[in-house]
Amino acid sequence: MPRTYSGIRESRPHTYNDLGGESVRIAEDFQGERLCGADRTFSQGLQCQQINSIAAVLSLEESAFIIHSPQGCSGCVSMGADGYRVGQAHRGVKLIKSPRVIVTNLDQNDIIMGGEAKLREAVGLAVKRYSPKIIFILTSCASGIIGDDVDAIAADLQPGLDAILTPIHCDGFKSKICASGFDAAFIAIRKYLLPDEPGPREDGLVNLFAPTSISYKDQLEIERMLGLLGARVNYIPFYSSLEKIRAIPSAQASTSICKVFADEFMKELDESYGIPFAHTVMPIGVRNTDKWFLGIAELLGKGELAREYVESEHARVLPQLEGIRKRLSGKRVFICGGTGRSFAAAALIDDFGMELVGLETPTYDFDAQIDIEYLNGIHTNYVVDVANMQPFEQVNLVNSLKPDLFIGVPSWSARLGVPTTHVLDPKRATMGYDGILYLGNKIADQLENPGFNRKLAPYARLPYKKTWYESDPFKFIKNT
Amino acid sequence: MSIVTENPRGTCVLGGVNNVLSAISRVCPIYHSGPGCCMQTTAGEAGQAGLRAPFFLSSVSTPCSNMLEREVVFGGESKLRDEIDGALEIIDADAYFILTGCTAGIIGDDIASVTQEYRGRGLPVYPITTPGFAGDSLLGYETAFQALLDHIVEPAVEKDGSLVNILGIVPYHDPQWAGTLEELSRIFRRLGLRVNTFFTEDQGIEHVRSSASAALNIIVSPWLLKGVAERYREQFGVPYLRFPALPVGVSLTSALVRQVGDALGLDGSLVERVVYEEEKYVYNYYESIIGGLSWKRFAVVADASAAVGVTRFLANDYSFTPVVTIVTDPMYRDEDRERITEQITSLEYAKAPDVHFLSDHYDIREKLREYDGITLLVGSSLEQEIALELGIQCHVMAFPVSDRLFLNRTYSGYRGSLTLVEDLFNNL
Repeated sequence: MPRTYSGIRESRPHTYNDLGGESVRIAEDFQGERLCGADRTFSQGLQCQQINSIAAVLSLEESAFIIHSPQGCSGCVSMGADGYRVGQAHRGVKLIKSPRVIVTNLDQNDIIMGGEAKLREAVGLAVKRYSPKIIFILTSCASGIIGDDVDAIAADLQPGLDAILTPIHCDGFKSKICASGFDAAFIAIRKYLLPDEPGPREDGLVNLFAPTSISYKDQLEIERMLGLLGARVNYIPFYSSLEKIRAIPSAQASTSICKVFADEFMKELDESYGIPFAHTVMPIGVRNTDKWFLGIAELLGKGELAREYVESEHARVLPQLEGIRKRLSGKRVFICGGTGRSFAAAALIDDFGMELVGLETPTYDFDAQIDIEYLNGIHTNYVVDVANMQPFEQVNLVNSLKPDLFIGVPSWSARLGVPTTHVLDPKRATMGYDGILYLGNKIADQLENPGFNRKLAPYARLPYKKTWYESDPFKFIKNT
Repeated sequence: MSIVTENPRGTCVLGGVNNVLSAISRVCPIYHSGPGCCMQTTAGEAGQAGLRAPFFLSSVSTPCSNMLEREVVFGGESKLRDEIDGALEIIDADAYFILTGCTAGIIGDDIASVTQEYRGRGLPVYPITTPGFAGDSLLGYETAFQALLDHIVEPAVEKDGSLVNILGIVPYHDPQWAGTLEELSRIFRRLGLRVNTFFTEDQGIEHVRSSASAALNIIVSPWLLKGVAERYREQFGVPYLRFPALPVGVSLTSALVRQVGDALGLDGSLVERVVYEEEKYVYNYYESIIGGLSWKRFAVVADASAAVGVTRFLANDYSFTPVVTIVTDPMYRDEDRERITEQITSLEYAKAPDVHFLSDHYDIREKLREYDGITLLVGSSLEQEIALELGIQCHVMAFPVSDRLFLNRTYSGYRGSLTLVEDLFNNL
């Protein structure tokens, strides 16, 4: 991270989190620098950056994790831990482990007196119990506001320890954009775990950065595709290890399979170690898979080979898409997702001739503008809601737009009776060319068989007043 | 007071309060907290209690002021007012509760005054001070009821001799809370009673408001709600009966039914008829699987209420051999530990198991290693690891449950024990 980068995504120029309107106008306003800073005067809960930080590192081998916080901030560890257990099962591990998570459990006294003693105790327990190679220490709103100097405590404890103490500064109140937590984790990895001087370059070694939501099946497919280019994959950070992290600076190139995962870190690797990177898109759908694969292939000097492969895959897969197209063409879709996946899904539906009527994505910035301009070239004016979830806006929009299908977390739109599906599937393959067929059939099957949602809707208990559905969905977004 | 803990079983006060509010129909919690607290508390409680999400507002649908650096530095009261105004405008609720996260708690935002402004205008907006550093989610459960007593419960104009309140079963924390409350309601109705659970059958804030007209509070827990039970009695004249376990199976459930009958002075022949018919229903099934579920030497790792209930059921009613029971609730009163130990060790025929009070996942695993010959481990999803390692059958029923789905399933009451026996069957 260009060393001046704080890890707070809001600090990057032209980043907007509270925005809504028609896609064409938003793209024009962004282009013309007419977008203003804004905030929602009413909002629903966000995902804090600590949730992303812990998710990023939780599956690392021989590591322990200290959450320096009151007990509640370990709540989302359960989701990461569940994913970790499932991931082990998929990878054939027999003795499935829980991640080693120790919470300092700050209480009233610690808030007044400081939490240093408990942090020291937690480090001692982690060392005694597990002799880990890395001990991550994750900060919290509470530890940040009371001013615990975690870096200094870690520096003081480090001599004499085999484990590398690695503080991650992810205080929740510092950022509205949960992806900041990924950056915080990579900043810590850079600072504490990577050498300043790169070792010898390993030809063909590629750093592949992938967020936690990527299934093992997807990992295998992506590794297989990169293998076609003669590359060996250093898959980071999931089910990875200190050794693999230390191999990062030796790589010939880097790429990511999510737009907001490791993008800043790859810039840092370029600046520190001269490792070029391909920052493209999530390889879901024909266009994105092409773009992603060709992006990394060009870097490796294998563009020719990659184009041949892409052509042969098109010849194999595109004819099979015809049947799916017949089922889905012209269907109107509303999409909600994280940054990478929302745009990937929007590109995917074009493979099936579907029409985008609404897109909900957490952040609008230069990267988003590229995607929106591309989508504006395909679809007529659709609604863009720049929101991290905010289900109240979503149900308002879905209720008035009446799409044929909703793609995303279905908890709320399903209760409106709209058919729902998701392109996020941590247990099956969604990426690459075969993933397109899987997702296409999944989308068509779920769209054609909406019985569950239709029958549920009359009994559903969504919490909103009737008048809300008739209001401007963006009325709470006010310029600041 | 709280201690450094590996894999703690539960979240913070905020999480516990939210468990209660999100289970009462048409109640809107509003978090005055940093971003993330809504997700953390829902994922860490409901998300680990059999995977049901509170239907009305939960996780990222919970209204939240999402306090950032600006609020931390300059105070967040004006942002909170905006948030409350928005919630009143769009959320169709009967009551709105402002909960504070660590952020608001440390900087000292005055939510009592802010909510007073709204109540002054006749709007049902109430404060509950809940910074996470104040304690764990079980304390939050108590805090929520204290707040309901402060703001909602009204003195009874008239007592209703046939109305009871069931308390002590923590929604979205006890993984089987819904099924248990439904089964207990079914049983008590057979005695001619009406039942407030506050959390099932769309019961709402009105049931809480009129709860002081009940003839009895039935506290189903060996230690929770001490202060709340006494306050109900002293301030609102509702006596209480503490039943120190989840009533798993015939012996415990019949004991509960008889105690309730005695406390309310119900017709003894009615009580005995209900007990007989319910027990007969269960034993007629048991009769058909004699020998079907093989004998086990068992260990239990669970919260106090489930630990007592399951240990007593398996030992007293199913003639399994108890080896060790580990109670995982962090608890600090000696009287509670003594009551729980006494309940686990005073068995009818079986030799008493060892009893330990441990909350730390590592300590629990190490303790279990000290025992040879355990063939069944009843615990939480966290116990899968040690069970795999030691090659023991593991049955997951206690918090946290992240690998099973619970809807209306319960092991409590008469019928619940049949479900437990079904689930324990393992042909391997």
